[in-house]
Amino acid sequence: MLTYEERQIHLSWTQNTTIKQIEDAFKEFTTREDIAVVLISQYVANMIRFLVDSYNQPVLAFLEIPSKDHPYDPAHDSVISRVKYLFSTESVASGRR
Amino acid sequence: MEEQDQMQSSIEVEELEEQQQREGKRLEEENVVRFLDSLDSYVTLLDSLSSTLRQGWLELASARQSMGASRINGALLDLKFHSAATSLQVTHHDDEILNQPHFTLCKWASSKNGYGDEKLRENKLQTNSDGPQLRHRSQFAEKIPETKGAPLIVDDQVQKERTKSLSMFGTLVSPKLRAAQLSFETALETLVEIANVRLTMLSTSDQVRKELEGTEG
Repeated sequence: MLTYEERQIHLSWTQNTTIKQIEDAFKEFTTREDIAVVLISQYVANMIRFLVDSYNQPVLAFLEIPSKDHPYDPAHDSVISRVKYLFSTESVASGRR
Repeated sequence: MEEQDQMQSSIEVEELEEQQQREGKRLEEENVVRFLDSLDSYVTLLDSLSSTLRQGWLELASARQSMGASRINGALLDLKFHSAATSLQVTHHDDEILNQPHFTLCKWASSKNGYGDEKLRENKLQTNSDGPQLRHRSQFAEKIPETKGAPLIVDDQVQKERTKSLSMFGTLVSPKLRAAQLSFETALETLVEIANVRLTMLSTSDQVRKELEGTEG
C-alpha cells in the first residue's frame, strides 16, 4: 500500500493507455482531498468527454489545456459549453462533433 | 386629512418598491457584466497559455538540439520522490459578492528560507507585466505597461532555486533551457489565474441563470 507521499499525482498518456485507465485516473484525482487542480490535455479529455461534462464540483478546478500536437479548441471546452446556453437556445451537446 | 396621510404613505411605499426594483435590476446587471468579464478573461488567458506553452516547447526543442538529446532526456529523472518546489494554496475569501475559494501559487516555497510571501508578490509583478491584457469594465482599471519586456524583479534566492532545478541537466546549460524554464513558470501562473477565473465564471453564470429563471417564472 502506497503512503500519502507516494501516491501518484499524474497519469502519462501514451498510445497504449486505455479509456478505462483514463476514467479510473479521473475518478481518483477528482475524489482525492489533497488535489485541488486537475490538468488534462483537451485531446485526452475528449476521450472521456461524458465524464468530464458531468463533473460540476465547484472547488476542484478541472482545466483542459492544449498539448504539443493538439491545439486548444474553445468549442470543446466543458466550462464554455456549460455557459454557452446563456447566449443561445442550442443544447450543450448539439455543437459537438 | 386622513386621506392625505393615506395618500402620502402609499406614495412612499410605491417609491420604496421602485427603489428596490431599481436596486435589484442594478445587481442583476452587475452579475451579467461580471460574468461576461470572467468569460472574456477565461478565453484570453487560455489563448495566452497556448502561446506560452508553444514558446516553452520550442525553447525546449532548441535546447535539446544545442545540448544534445542525451543531456535533455527523460532518462535523467531519478524517479525518486522529492518535496515540491512549488505549491498551491486554496483559501476561502469572505467576499461579500462571491463566497468562493481562491487559488494562490507559492513558487519555490520549499526553500528553507520560506519566502512564500515574497514569491506571491513576485508572481503578481510577473502577472502584471507579462500577462495578457484583460479588459476591465470598472472605472478603476489598472494601466498595463505597453512594453512586453518589462524587467522582472528576481530575487537571488529564486535564481539559485531555478539553477538548482536545472542542475540535473548539467552544470552548464543552454540559455534556451533557462528560457524554457521561465516559459513554463509563466504557464503555471497563468493556469492558476485560469482556475480562479473559472470559479468566478461558474459562480456568476449560476447567479445569472437563477435570475433568468426567476424572470421567466
